[in-house]
Amino acid sequence: MTPRLPTPALPEARWPNLAPPRLDVRRPARPAPPGWLRKIHWRTAIGALLLAGILHVAATLAVPLIGPGMAYQKLRDLLPANTMVVVPPARPGKQLLPFLMPDAYYGICRYSVASEPITVSAPLADLGWTLSLHTPHGDNFYVIPGQQLRSTDLSLVVVPAAEKSGDLIPAATRRAPVASEDQIASPSEEGLIIIRAPLKGLAWKGEAEAALARAKCTPGLKP
Amino acid sequence: MPQFGKLFVNLVAIAVLGVGGGLGSAWYMVEAGSRLTTRSFGPWITWIAAGRPDADPYTRAHTARNGLLPIASTLELSFYAKTDSGGGQLQSACDYAVTFEGLEGAWWNLAAYDRRGGLIPNGADRFTFSSDTAMREPDGRAVIVVARDARPGNWLPVGAGKVTLALTVQDAVMAAAVHTGGSIKPLPTIRKMGCR
Repeated sequence: MTPRLPTPALPEARWPNLAPPRLDVRRPARPAPPGWLRKIHWRTAIGALLLAGILHVAATLAVPLIGPGMAYQKLRDLLPANTMVVVPPARPGKQLLPFLMPDAYYGICRYSVASEPITVSAPLADLGWTLSLHTPHGDNFYVIPGQQLRSTDLSLVVVPAAEKSGDLIPAATRRAPVASEDQIASPSEEGLIIIRAPLKGLAWKGEAEAALARAKCTPGLKP
Repeated sequence: MPQFGKLFVNLVAIAVLGVGGGLGSAWYMVEAGSRLTTRSFGPWITWIAAGRPDADPYTRAHTARNGLLPIASTLELSFYAKTDSGGGQLQSACDYAVTFEGLEGAWWNLAAYDRRGGLIPNGADRFTFSSDTAMREPDGRAVIVVARDARPGNWLPVGAGKVTLALTVQDAVMAAAVHTGGSIKPLPTIRKMGCR
Protein backbone atom coordinates (compact mmCIF):
# COMPACT_ATOMS: atom_id res chain seq x y z
CA MET A 1 0.00 0.00 0.00
CA THR A 2 1.41 3.32 -0.98
CA PRO A 3 1.91 5.63 1.96
CA ARG A 4 -0.10 8.80 1.67
CA LEU A 5 2.07 11.86 1.56
CA PRO A 6 0.91 15.02 3.32
CA THR A 7 -0.46 17.63 0.97
CA PRO A 8 1.89 20.61 0.83
CA ALA A 9 0.26 23.73 2.10
CA LEU A 10 -0.24 26.54 -0.35
CA PRO A 11 2.13 29.47 0.09
CA GLU A 12 -0.84 31.85 0.44
CA ALA A 13 -2.12 29.78 3.34
CA ARG A 14 1.20 29.90 5.10
CA TRP A 15 1.99 33.52 4.34
CA PRO A 16 -1.33 35.20 3.66
CA ASN A 17 0.23 38.62 3.78
CA LEU A 18 2.66 37.80 1.00
CA ALA A 19 0.05 37.49 -1.73
CA PRO A 20 1.28 39.11 -4.96
CA PRO A 21 0.24 42.71 -5.11
CA ARG A 22 -2.50 43.54 -7.56
CA LEU A 23 -1.25 45.48 -10.48
CA ASP A 24 -3.24 48.60 -11.08
CA VAL A 25 -3.38 48.59 -14.82
CA ARG A 26 -5.28 51.53 -16.13
CA ARG A 27 -6.80 51.19 -19.53
CA PRO A 28 -5.96 54.00 -21.87
CA ALA A 29 -8.79 56.43 -22.25
CA ARG A 30 -11.02 55.64 -25.20
CA PRO A 31 -10.54 58.31 -27.87
CA ALA A 32 -13.49 60.62 -28.10
CA PRO A 33 -15.48 60.38 -31.35
CA PRO A 34 -14.90 63.24 -33.74
CA GLY A 35 -17.12 66.25 -33.39
CA TRP A 36 -19.09 65.69 -36.58
CA LEU A 37 -19.99 62.17 -35.47
CA ARG A 38 -21.43 63.49 -32.20
CA LYS A 39 -23.69 65.77 -34.21
CA ILE A 40 -25.48 62.81 -35.80
CA HIS A 41 -28.69 62.15 -33.93
CA TRP A 42 -29.45 58.53 -33.12
CA ARG A 43 -32.76 58.89 -34.93
CA THR A 44 -30.88 59.97 -38.03
CA ALA A 45 -28.68 56.88 -37.83
CA ILE A 46 -31.66 54.55 -37.51
CA GLY A 47 -33.51 56.39 -40.28
CA ALA A 48 -30.49 56.11 -42.56
CA LEU A 49 -30.20 52.39 -41.90
CA LEU A 50 -33.90 51.93 -42.64
CA LEU A 51 -33.53 53.95 -45.84
CA ALA A 52 -30.53 51.84 -46.80
CA GLY A 53 -32.55 48.66 -46.32
CA ILE A 54 -35.48 49.96 -48.35
CA LEU A 55 -33.24 51.15 -51.19
CA HIS A 56 -31.30 47.87 -51.15
CA VAL A 57 -34.47 45.80 -51.56
CA ALA A 58 -36.05 48.20 -54.07
CA ALA A 59 -32.94 48.36 -56.26
CA THR A 60 -32.48 44.59 -56.24
CA LEU A 61 -36.10 43.97 -57.20
CA ALA A 62 -36.12 46.73 -59.80
CA VAL A 63 -33.09 45.55 -61.76
CA PRO A 64 -34.85 42.60 -63.48
CA LEU A 65 -37.63 44.98 -64.57
CA ILE A 66 -35.43 47.77 -65.87
CA GLY A 67 -32.17 45.86 -66.26
CA PRO A 68 -30.03 47.57 -68.88
CA GLY A 69 -28.76 44.36 -70.36
CA MET A 70 -31.80 42.14 -70.19
CA ALA A 71 -31.32 39.49 -72.84
CA TYR A 72 -34.94 39.40 -74.00
CA GLN A 73 -35.02 43.15 -74.61
CA LYS A 74 -31.94 42.84 -76.80
CA LEU A 75 -33.32 39.94 -78.82
CA ARG A 76 -36.91 41.20 -79.12
CA ASP A 77 -36.03 43.81 -81.72
CA LEU A 78 -33.77 41.48 -83.69
CA LEU A 79 -35.97 38.42 -84.01
CA PRO A 80 -39.35 38.01 -85.72
CA ALA A 81 -42.10 36.44 -83.63
CA ASN A 82 -42.83 32.71 -83.86
CA THR A 83 -40.06 31.99 -86.35
CA MET A 84 -36.95 29.91 -85.77
CA VAL A 85 -33.86 31.94 -86.67
CA VAL A 86 -30.50 30.19 -86.91
CA VAL A 87 -27.66 32.34 -85.59
CA PRO A 88 -24.12 31.46 -86.70
CA PRO A 89 -21.30 31.05 -84.16
CA ALA A 90 -20.47 34.27 -82.32
CA ARG A 91 -17.46 36.33 -83.31
CA PRO A 92 -15.95 39.43 -81.67
CA GLY A 93 -18.28 42.35 -82.19
CA LYS A 94 -20.98 40.04 -83.62
CA GLN A 95 -22.21 38.56 -80.39
CA LEU A 96 -25.89 38.47 -79.55
CA LEU A 97 -25.38 38.26 -75.79
CA PRO A 98 -22.46 38.40 -73.34
CA PHE A 99 -20.82 35.09 -72.43
CA LEU A 100 -22.73 33.33 -75.20
CA MET A 101 -20.88 30.14 -76.07
CA PRO A 102 -18.69 30.61 -79.16
CA ASP A 103 -18.33 27.87 -81.78
CA ALA A 104 -21.99 27.01 -81.40
CA TYR A 105 -24.96 27.57 -83.66
CA TYR A 106 -28.08 28.85 -81.98
CA GLY A 107 -31.62 28.35 -83.19
CA ILE A 108 -33.72 31.04 -81.49
CA CYS A 109 -37.46 31.52 -81.66
CA ARG A 110 -39.15 34.46 -79.98
CA TYR A 111 -42.55 33.02 -79.26
CA SER A 112 -45.87 34.40 -78.21
CA VAL A 113 -48.68 32.15 -77.00
CA ALA A 114 -51.08 35.05 -76.51
CA SER A 115 -53.34 33.98 -79.39
CA GLU A 116 -52.50 30.31 -79.97
CA PRO A 117 -50.06 27.60 -78.88
CA ILE A 118 -46.69 27.19 -80.53
CA THR A 119 -45.51 23.91 -81.98
CA VAL A 120 -41.78 23.33 -81.77
CA SER A 121 -39.74 20.74 -83.66
CA ALA A 122 -36.15 20.52 -82.56
CA PRO A 123 -33.30 18.15 -83.29
CA LEU A 124 -30.86 17.34 -80.50
CA ALA A 125 -28.01 15.72 -82.37
CA ASP A 126 -25.37 15.13 -79.71
CA LEU A 127 -24.05 15.79 -76.23
CA GLY A 128 -23.88 19.51 -75.48
CA TRP A 129 -26.96 20.27 -77.59
CA THR A 130 -29.83 21.67 -75.58
CA LEU A 131 -33.37 22.83 -76.11
CA SER A 132 -34.34 25.43 -73.54
CA LEU A 133 -37.35 27.66 -72.98
CA HIS A 134 -36.97 31.00 -71.21
CA THR A 135 -39.32 33.68 -69.95
CA PRO A 136 -38.58 37.32 -70.82
CA HIS A 137 -36.91 37.64 -67.40
CA GLY A 138 -34.47 34.87 -68.25
CA ASP A 139 -36.07 32.09 -66.20
CA ASN A 140 -35.31 28.78 -67.86
CA PHE A 141 -38.52 26.87 -67.16
CA TYR A 142 -37.82 23.91 -69.44
CA VAL A 143 -34.62 22.33 -70.71
CA ILE A 144 -33.72 19.04 -72.29
CA PRO A 145 -30.16 18.02 -73.18
CA GLY A 146 -28.96 16.01 -76.14
CA GLN A 147 -27.61 12.51 -75.65
CA GLN A 148 -24.21 11.31 -76.74
CA LEU A 149 -24.15 9.75 -80.21
CA ARG A 150 -27.93 9.62 -80.31
CA SER A 151 -29.83 12.06 -82.46
CA THR A 152 -33.28 12.87 -81.16
CA ASP A 153 -36.00 14.81 -82.92
CA LEU A 154 -38.23 16.44 -80.37
CA SER A 155 -41.68 17.81 -80.94
CA LEU A 156 -43.58 19.73 -78.32
CA VAL A 157 -46.33 22.28 -77.92
CA VAL A 158 -45.92 25.42 -75.83
CA VAL A 159 -49.20 26.52 -74.29
CA PRO A 160 -50.08 29.26 -71.78
CA ALA A 161 -49.82 28.05 -68.22
CA ALA A 162 -53.49 28.86 -67.57
CA GLU A 163 -54.57 26.72 -70.51
CA LYS A 164 -52.49 23.75 -69.38
CA SER A 165 -54.09 23.82 -65.96
CA GLY A 166 -57.49 24.38 -67.56
CA ASP A 167 -58.65 26.33 -64.55
CA LEU A 168 -59.02 29.74 -66.08
CA ILE A 169 -60.63 28.78 -69.39
CA PRO A 170 -64.24 27.72 -69.65
CA ALA A 171 -64.63 24.17 -70.90
CA ALA A 172 -66.65 25.31 -73.93
CA THR A 173 -63.87 27.51 -75.26
CA ARG A 174 -60.97 25.23 -74.32
CA ARG A 175 -58.88 23.96 -77.25
CA ALA A 176 -58.76 20.31 -78.14
CA PRO A 177 -56.21 18.62 -75.91
CA VAL A 178 -53.05 17.10 -77.29
CA ALA A 179 -50.87 14.52 -75.62
CA SER A 180 -50.07 16.04 -72.26
CA GLU A 181 -46.45 14.86 -72.29
CA ASP A 182 -45.88 17.07 -75.37
CA GLN A 183 -47.27 20.15 -73.72
CA ILE A 184 -45.05 22.65 -72.02
CA ALA A 185 -46.82 25.31 -69.99
CA SER A 186 -45.28 28.71 -70.50
CA PRO A 187 -45.52 30.88 -67.37
CA SER A 188 -45.45 33.99 -69.57
CA GLU A 189 -47.20 34.90 -72.81
CA GLU A 190 -43.89 35.58 -74.52
CA GLY A 191 -40.48 34.05 -74.28
CA LEU A 192 -37.58 32.45 -76.08
CA ILE A 193 -37.03 28.94 -77.39
CA ILE A 194 -33.34 28.28 -77.85
CA ILE A 195 -31.58 25.34 -79.46
CA ARG A 196 -27.85 25.34 -78.76
CA ALA A 197 -25.72 23.32 -81.17
CA PRO A 198 -22.03 23.31 -80.21
CA LEU A 199 -19.63 22.46 -83.02
CA LYS A 200 -17.16 19.64 -82.54
CA GLY A 201 -15.06 21.19 -85.25
CA LEU A 202 -15.35 22.59 -88.76
CA ALA A 203 -16.04 19.13 -90.13
CA TRP A 204 -19.33 19.04 -88.25
CA LYS A 205 -20.48 22.46 -89.47
CA GLY A 206 -22.57 21.13 -92.34
CA GLU A 207 -24.15 18.47 -90.17
CA ALA A 208 -25.11 21.00 -87.50
CA GLU A 209 -26.53 23.40 -90.09
CA ALA A 210 -28.57 20.62 -91.69
CA ALA A 211 -29.93 19.52 -88.33
CA LEU A 212 -30.87 23.06 -87.33
CA ALA A 213 -32.58 23.62 -90.68
CA ARG A 214 -35.15 21.06 -89.52
CA ALA A 215 -35.92 23.11 -86.41
CA LYS A 216 -39.33 24.75 -86.57
CA CYS A 217 -41.36 27.05 -84.38
CA THR A 218 -44.83 27.54 -85.79
CA PRO A 219 -48.09 28.89 -84.39
CA GLY A 220 -50.90 26.40 -83.99
CA LEU A 221 -51.20 22.80 -82.89
CA LYS A 222 -49.52 19.81 -84.48
CA PRO A 223 -51.40 18.45 -87.51
CA MET B 1 -25.38 78.51 -37.09
CA PRO B 2 -24.49 75.44 -34.98
CA GLN B 3 -27.99 74.15 -35.69
CA PHE B 4 -27.37 74.48 -39.41
CA GLY B 5 -24.11 72.54 -39.09
CA LYS B 6 -25.88 69.77 -37.18
CA LEU B 7 -28.62 69.59 -39.82
CA PHE B 8 -26.03 69.44 -42.58
CA VAL B 9 -24.14 66.61 -40.89
CA ASN B 10 -27.37 64.67 -40.40
CA LEU B 11 -28.37 65.13 -44.03
CA VAL B 12 -24.95 63.97 -45.19
CA ALA B 13 -25.21 60.96 -42.88
CA ILE B 14 -28.56 60.01 -44.40
CA ALA B 15 -27.18 60.41 -47.92
CA VAL B 16 -24.03 58.40 -47.28
CA LEU B 17 -25.44 55.73 -44.98
CA GLY B 18 -28.91 55.50 -46.46
CA VAL B 19 -28.55 56.09 -50.18
CA GLY B 20 -24.91 55.10 -50.62
CA GLY B 21 -25.08 52.12 -48.30
CA GLY B 22 -28.37 50.84 -49.71
CA LEU B 23 -27.48 51.16 -53.37
CA GLY B 24 -23.85 50.17 -52.86
CA SER B 25 -24.69 47.01 -50.98
CA ALA B 26 -27.32 46.12 -53.59
CA TRP B 27 -24.79 46.65 -56.37
CA TYR B 28 -22.25 44.44 -54.61
CA MET B 29 -24.73 41.65 -53.97
CA VAL B 30 -25.94 41.75 -57.58
CA GLU B 31 -22.55 42.00 -59.26
CA ALA B 32 -20.21 40.02 -57.04
CA GLY B 33 -22.67 37.86 -55.15
CA SER B 34 -22.26 36.45 -51.68
CA ARG B 35 -22.16 33.08 -49.99
CA LEU B 36 -25.96 33.11 -50.12
CA THR B 37 -26.04 33.18 -53.91
CA THR B 38 -22.72 31.84 -55.17
CA ARG B 39 -20.30 28.99 -54.52
CA SER B 40 -16.59 29.14 -55.10
CA PHE B 41 -14.32 26.28 -56.08
CA GLY B 42 -10.79 27.63 -56.19
CA PRO B 43 -10.81 30.47 -58.71
CA TRP B 44 -14.18 29.38 -60.15
CA ILE B 45 -17.41 31.05 -59.04
CA THR B 46 -20.90 29.90 -59.94
CA TRP B 47 -24.30 31.42 -59.22
CA ILE B 48 -26.16 28.58 -57.54
CA ALA B 49 -29.67 29.38 -58.76
CA ALA B 50 -28.81 30.84 -62.18
CA GLY B 51 -31.55 30.37 -64.73
CA ARG B 52 -33.96 28.71 -62.33
CA PRO B 53 -37.53 30.00 -62.10
CA ASP B 54 -37.25 29.91 -58.29
CA ALA B 55 -34.01 31.91 -58.28
CA ASP B 56 -33.48 34.46 -55.51
CA PRO B 57 -33.82 38.18 -56.33
CA TYR B 58 -30.04 38.74 -56.38
CA THR B 59 -29.49 36.02 -58.95
CA ARG B 60 -32.35 37.28 -61.09
CA ALA B 61 -30.96 40.80 -60.91
CA HIS B 62 -27.48 39.55 -61.80
CA THR B 63 -28.85 37.68 -64.82
CA ALA B 64 -30.89 40.65 -66.04
CA ARG B 65 -28.25 43.28 -65.44
CA ASN B 66 -25.59 41.39 -67.35
CA GLY B 67 -27.89 40.34 -70.20
CA LEU B 68 -27.30 36.64 -69.57
CA LEU B 69 -29.52 33.79 -70.66
CA PRO B 70 -28.33 30.85 -68.57
CA ILE B 71 -29.63 27.33 -68.76
CA ALA B 72 -31.10 26.22 -65.44
CA SER B 73 -28.39 25.34 -62.97
CA THR B 74 -30.17 22.08 -62.24
CA LEU B 75 -28.71 20.74 -65.50
CA GLU B 76 -25.78 22.93 -66.43
CA LEU B 77 -23.37 25.01 -64.36
CA SER B 78 -21.56 28.12 -65.54
CA PHE B 79 -18.36 28.89 -63.67
CA TYR B 80 -16.44 32.13 -64.09
CA ALA B 81 -12.81 32.77 -63.16
CA LYS B 82 -11.20 36.20 -63.03
CA THR B 83 -8.13 35.01 -61.13
CA ASP B 84 -5.73 32.10 -61.39
CA SER B 85 -5.47 29.40 -58.72
CA GLY B 86 -2.89 31.54 -56.92
CA GLY B 87 -5.26 34.50 -56.66
CA GLY B 88 -3.62 36.75 -59.30
CA GLN B 89 -5.82 38.58 -61.81
CA LEU B 90 -6.09 36.85 -65.18
CA GLN B 91 -4.46 39.11 -67.75
CA SER B 92 -3.29 38.67 -71.29
CA ALA B 93 0.29 39.62 -70.42
CA CYS B 94 0.65 36.23 -68.71
CA ASP B 95 0.34 32.64 -69.93
CA TYR B 96 -1.85 30.18 -68.03
CA ALA B 97 -2.23 26.42 -68.10
CA VAL B 98 -5.79 25.28 -67.45
CA THR B 99 -5.64 21.60 -66.55
CA PHE B 100 -8.73 19.43 -66.72
CA GLU B 101 -8.45 16.31 -64.62
CA GLY B 102 -11.45 14.53 -63.19
CA LEU B 103 -14.32 15.93 -65.26
CA GLU B 104 -14.74 12.66 -67.11
CA GLY B 105 -18.29 11.86 -68.08
CA ALA B 106 -19.35 15.49 -68.10
CA TRP B 107 -19.64 17.66 -71.20
CA TRP B 108 -17.70 20.89 -70.71
CA ASN B 109 -16.73 24.00 -72.60
CA LEU B 110 -14.05 26.58 -71.80
CA ALA B 111 -14.02 30.02 -73.43
CA ALA B 112 -12.10 33.23 -72.86
CA TYR B 113 -13.84 36.60 -72.74
CA ASP B 114 -13.09 40.14 -71.70
CA ARG B 115 -14.52 41.32 -68.39
CA ARG B 116 -17.84 42.28 -69.98
CA GLY B 117 -18.39 38.90 -71.61
CA GLY B 118 -17.27 39.88 -75.10
CA LEU B 119 -15.13 37.60 -77.22
CA ILE B 120 -11.52 38.70 -77.60
CA PRO B 121 -10.36 39.17 -81.21
CA ASN B 122 -7.38 37.04 -82.17
CA GLY B 123 -5.61 36.10 -85.35
CA ALA B 124 -6.26 32.40 -84.96
CA ASP B 125 -10.03 33.02 -84.77
CA ARG B 126 -10.22 30.54 -81.90
CA PHE B 127 -12.35 31.22 -78.86
CA THR B 128 -13.17 28.00 -77.10
CA PHE B 129 -12.39 24.39 -76.37
CA SER B 130 -14.80 21.69 -75.28
CA SER B 131 -14.59 18.12 -74.05
CA ASP B 132 -15.14 17.17 -77.72
CA THR B 133 -12.40 19.33 -79.20
CA ALA B 134 -9.57 19.44 -76.62
CA MET B 135 -6.61 17.17 -77.23
CA ARG B 136 -5.71 14.86 -74.33
CA GLU B 137 -2.42 14.03 -72.72
CA PRO B 138 -1.44 10.34 -72.55
CA ASP B 139 -2.71 10.24 -68.97
CA GLY B 140 -6.14 11.52 -69.97
CA ARG B 141 -5.73 15.11 -68.78
CA ALA B 142 -6.59 18.01 -71.04
CA VAL B 143 -4.28 21.00 -70.73
CA ILE B 144 -5.42 24.23 -72.38
CA VAL B 145 -2.87 27.03 -72.56
CA VAL B 146 -4.36 30.52 -72.42
CA ALA B 147 -1.78 32.84 -73.97
CA ARG B 148 -1.43 35.78 -76.32
CA ASP B 149 1.16 34.08 -78.54
CA ALA B 150 0.84 30.70 -80.22
CA ARG B 151 1.53 27.62 -78.13
CA PRO B 152 1.61 23.95 -79.14
CA GLY B 153 -1.39 21.80 -78.26
CA ASN B 154 -4.63 23.33 -77.01
CA TRP B 155 -3.92 27.03 -77.40
CA LEU B 156 -6.67 29.46 -76.40
CA PRO B 157 -5.58 32.89 -77.67
CA VAL B 158 -6.37 36.09 -75.77
CA GLY B 159 -5.85 39.72 -76.74
CA ALA B 160 -4.90 42.67 -74.59
CA GLY B 161 -6.43 43.38 -71.21
CA LYS B 162 -7.98 41.43 -68.39
CA VAL B 163 -9.50 38.05 -69.11
CA THR B 164 -12.48 36.14 -67.75
CA LEU B 165 -12.59 32.40 -68.29
CA ALA B 166 -16.04 30.83 -68.51
CA LEU B 167 -16.43 27.13 -67.92
CA THR B 168 -19.74 25.44 -68.73
CA VAL B 169 -20.24 21.97 -67.29
CA GLN B 170 -23.25 19.87 -68.21
CA ASP B 171 -23.67 17.27 -65.49
CA ALA B 172 -26.93 16.94 -63.57
CA VAL B 173 -25.30 15.03 -60.68
CA MET B 174 -22.68 17.72 -60.24
CA ALA B 175 -25.34 20.42 -60.46
CA ALA B 176 -27.30 18.74 -57.69
CA ALA B 177 -24.17 18.56 -55.53
CA VAL B 178 -23.59 22.28 -55.95
CA HIS B 179 -27.13 22.98 -54.78
CA THR B 180 -26.94 20.72 -51.76
CA GLY B 181 -23.50 21.96 -50.77
CA GLY B 182 -21.91 18.59 -51.48
CA SER B 183 -18.53 17.92 -53.03
CA ILE B 184 -18.21 17.99 -56.80
CA LYS B 185 -15.85 16.67 -59.42
CA PRO B 186 -12.60 18.63 -59.36
CA LEU B 187 -12.67 21.73 -61.52
CA PRO B 188 -9.64 22.62 -63.62
CA THR B 189 -6.72 24.39 -62.05
CA ILE B 190 -5.43 27.65 -63.57
CA ARG B 191 -1.67 27.83 -63.18
CA LYS B 192 0.30 30.90 -64.16
CA MET B 193 3.18 29.81 -66.40
CA GLY B 194 4.88 33.18 -66.72
CA CYS B 195 4.44 36.81 -67.67
CA ARG B 196 6.07 39.12 -70.18
